[in-house]
Amino acid sequence: MRSALFAIGVLAYPRAFRRRFGAEMHADHLRSGGSVIELIAAGLSERWSALVRLFWWPNHQPHLYAPTGRHFMFWDTLRSDVRHTIRLALKTPLVTSLTVLALALGIGATAAIFTVVNSVLVKPLPYRNAEELVVVWSDASRQGRPQNTLSPANFLDFQRMNQTLSGLEGYFSFVTPFKLMSDGPSEIVVGITVTPRLFELLGRSPLLGRPLADQPASFEVVLSHGFWQRRFGGDPHIIGRTLQIDTTPATVVGVMPEDFTFPYGSMLGPSGFTRATAIDLWAPMAFSGPLATTNRILTPQGQIVRGTHWLGAIGRMKPGVTIDHVQADLSTAARQMEQAYPETNAGWGATVVPVLEQTVGAIRRPLLLLLVGVAFVLIIAAVNVANLVLARSIARQKELAMRVALGAGRLRMIQQALTEGLFLSVTGGIAGLLLARWGVSALVALAPADLPRLHEVAPDARMLWITVGVALLTGIFVGLLPAVTATRVAPQAALQDNSRGSVGSAFRRRARATLVVAEIALAVTLTIGAGLLLRSFYALVSVNAGFEASQMLTWQMNLPARITTQDQRTAFYRDFLDRMEALPGVVSVGGTSRLPLGSTGLTTSVTVEGGAVPRADWPEVQFRRALGNYFQTMGIPVIKGRMFNESDGAAGAPVCIINQAMATTFFLGEDPIGRQIRNSDTGPAWTIIALVGDVKHGALDELPQPEMYVSTYQGSMVSPYIVMRTSGDASAMVDLVRAEARRLDRDLPLYTIQTMETVKSDSLAQRRFILILVALFGALALALAAIGVYGVMSLLVSERTQEVGVRLALGAHPSTVLKMLVGQALKLAGAGVGIGVVISLAVMPLLATQLYDVQPRDPLTMTGVPVVLMVVAMLAALVPARRAMKVNPVQALRYE
Amino acid sequence: MDRFRPESFLPLTPVAFEILLALADGEQHGYSILREVERRSVGTVKLHAGTMYRALARLLESGLIEELDERPAPAQDDERRRYYQLTTRGIAVARAEAERLFSQVAAARQRKLLGVKA
Repeated sequence: MRSALFAIGVLAYPRAFRRRFGAEMHADHLRSGGSVIELIAAGLSERWSALVRLFWWPNHQPHLYAPTGRHFMFWDTLRSDVRHTIRLALKTPLVTSLTVLALALGIGATAAIFTVVNSVLVKPLPYRNAEELVVVWSDASRQGRPQNTLSPANFLDFQRMNQTLSGLEGYFSFVTPFKLMSDGPSEIVVGITVTPRLFELLGRSPLLGRPLADQPASFEVVLSHGFWQRRFGGDPHIIGRTLQIDTTPATVVGVMPEDFTFPYGSMLGPSGFTRATAIDLWAPMAFSGPLATTNRILTPQGQIVRGTHWLGAIGRMKPGVTIDHVQADLSTAARQMEQAYPETNAGWGATVVPVLEQTVGAIRRPLLLLLVGVAFVLIIAAVNVANLVLARSIARQKELAMRVALGAGRLRMIQQALTEGLFLSVTGGIAGLLLARWGVSALVALAPADLPRLHEVAPDARMLWITVGVALLTGIFVGLLPAVTATRVAPQAALQDNSRGSVGSAFRRRARATLVVAEIALAVTLTIGAGLLLRSFYALVSVNAGFEASQMLTWQMNLPARITTQDQRTAFYRDFLDRMEALPGVVSVGGTSRLPLGSTGLTTSVTVEGGAVPRADWPEVQFRRALGNYFQTMGIPVIKGRMFNESDGAAGAPVCIINQAMATTFFLGEDPIGRQIRNSDTGPAWTIIALVGDVKHGALDELPQPEMYVSTYQGSMVSPYIVMRTSGDASAMVDLVRAEARRLDRDLPLYTIQTMETVKSDSLAQRRFILILVALFGALALALAAIGVYGVMSLLVSERTQEVGVRLALGAHPSTVLKMLVGQALKLAGAGVGIGVVISLAVMPLLATQLYDVQPRDPLTMTGVPVVLMVVAMLAALVPARRAMKVNPVQALRYE
Repeated sequence: MDRFRPESFLPLTPVAFEILLALADGEQHGYSILREVERRSVGTVKLHAGTMYRALARLLESGLIEELDERPAPAQDDERRRYYQLTTRGIAVARAEAERLFSQVAAARQRKLLGVKA
């Protein structure tokens, strides 16, 4: 046994060393009982110094054995193989560079996409032991919302009653635009209100200062790294400074580290992302005191609110607890709350989601889709290169046969082919690495801003390893097939000078045909996928959003601090609207509390006056405020009834406008005008005065939801969205609007100014991102497949040149011969297309979630793409075929 | 030709010096060198066959030791065994190394790092 181990271990030594000392070492090794590991280690050192001497420094550590001779069989052959490969590569520079480029593109794109996938989907979130963190929601599945935000009272109950969490902390499920006052014009900062122990729960401490205090003496804030750098130039003495936020002085107590992000967009709730995702500061949430009342955590009677849901929650599992335990635990708590508060809690459960799943779950499928797409491109590229190497090995048939005849082993031949494959793929890999670095930056630039964790994507060590791994696998794949066919060479036949179609070439032709068929099948699948996405995208772009997005400008603003009462607000808005509408080029101006496609939703549960629906079963509807000529400006059609007017002020009777979806939900074809609805048992009832068209609010691919509008003059609105319809280019109005706002009040910052076209287009950013990439992959696949067909046809044609010559000489019509040649290519393409369509029929349903208004097995795409591919294949075949036609029959026959 | 300078080999690796020390008593074969080194150093230098033969190769190449032509009596011999002995160069280098070490030890003693031998 030890003897056998020695026999293996001693192979670590250079051959000459083994010859000289092997026998002695064997005996001594057995008698002294040294470890094999040490034996091998010393051997590798010896081999290393031998290599150093051989390649770089002949005088390095004098050796016993002569520096010449064949001591390094493996290295010698490797060197000669590499030399041979390089010589071959230099002889055909164009083909070689194209090959390397194809591989570099394939490998680089794969590594880049992988890096994005890894950074977004796999890497842990920037929290301590992030795998222990879970997001907790209320389960309102009965109303179709399994991930509903919590009410403050329910949150506190979950916090108190759970047995499985070591902590549960809460945050507002939306970001708040705060106004930062300074000597100059006030500006908007994006904040989120969190329970003070949240940072502790996430396991991250501030870079500077301390986290929020549990019982703060005054209003405190913690700044984000980005805001600290941007607004305060990274001032190291920021801690303790007082910022004037709205009307409240706030003390800066901490700055979070650069890599800290909270919350990620999808933690904010199921209603979607707020498009502003970078948080500037965190402010504490209080469940008592005056802030609690203004934040509507306490009812006017001083009770903690249980009926309104707007809180997100994140918890940490105790050691050894699984997510199922937490789910069961919180469900039990929710059932107890249902019994204790049937009025508000009947039908409300709990949903627990791992934090990574919550953050990136929605993007997982599209990203994996990209990974599959890019892998297809890589495979197609590799198949192409394999084909090329195969073709070269045919060209070198005589040489190979000669080698075999002279006694070269089959293994030796395989080594040569593998070397060639690896040489190409490693060169491609090195170029691919550069492409991947660049590609990752390009992907980050191209990706929609609301792609979760986008700023965490960066080239890293893992990208390097993936590139290396992919390059090696590709090289083996590329080299293996030619390697196997190379061993099939029958020397005698190949060496006969006049041999056409020698033995073994039939096998090779079959191999090449198989490769091309596989390539076309993959290209068809990828292109069909791209086609389906493209059709979905166009369906979405042309879908009726319910409003007219062109020639419209929109922005958000916070009212000046001096305005505090409803009367002042009304007066301000009237003045503001009058001034804005008076600007040249402005058609009309309006406002709303939630901009379609540009903000999250806000819901309230309502019931029809006189109905007998229990409180817990009141349906939730989207709640909006409308200001000025909102419907006219947006181009939302008024179906019947009247708009808000002067009489609908604070003193007038409460009125509202509803959309068609809401009319259908509540009135089922009856006339809703004049009916009354309410959202609380005690509050006022709104009289419905008009019915308006549906609007796509969350996204273009959503169904319109029931929606109600209340006049801004009958209730306040924080940070309204203003919409302005213009007669010319909307984006040209920005400066004019800003100037007018400044004239009106210095303390009136306008922010997120953009055209409505941009808002609409941004709402499709993620789909566009996926589409662009998949379409790019599809185009690459198509081009590579065409090259593959061209390559095979060239070979076929060159092999049949004499036959063509004979046929033409015997009087065959050129078109018949052409048809025969192209027909052969079409047969291959047909087989590939057929297989590709079958694969597509099987796998496209996996794409269903990414499609809109088009079936995964859409007949048009399933037939259109194959036709395109057949045409491409035919064109690729036509080029070499036509060349064969030009052959002079006499010349062709001369070889015979 | 260059004049032979023992100092150009200094400092020796511990293994090489141990081998030279082991051979100072006279010619030995590989395994007995191994034994001798372990015995002399009381196990502090753990010599492995692979390490030792690498060092032997270096010493042979540098001409500090040489392989013996004549073999001991056939009865004790083992045909795989090769015997090695010091060359004059080897003796010079070993002496130079010993002096180098001695001066270091003396320096250590002077700075009270080592007790003066009783």
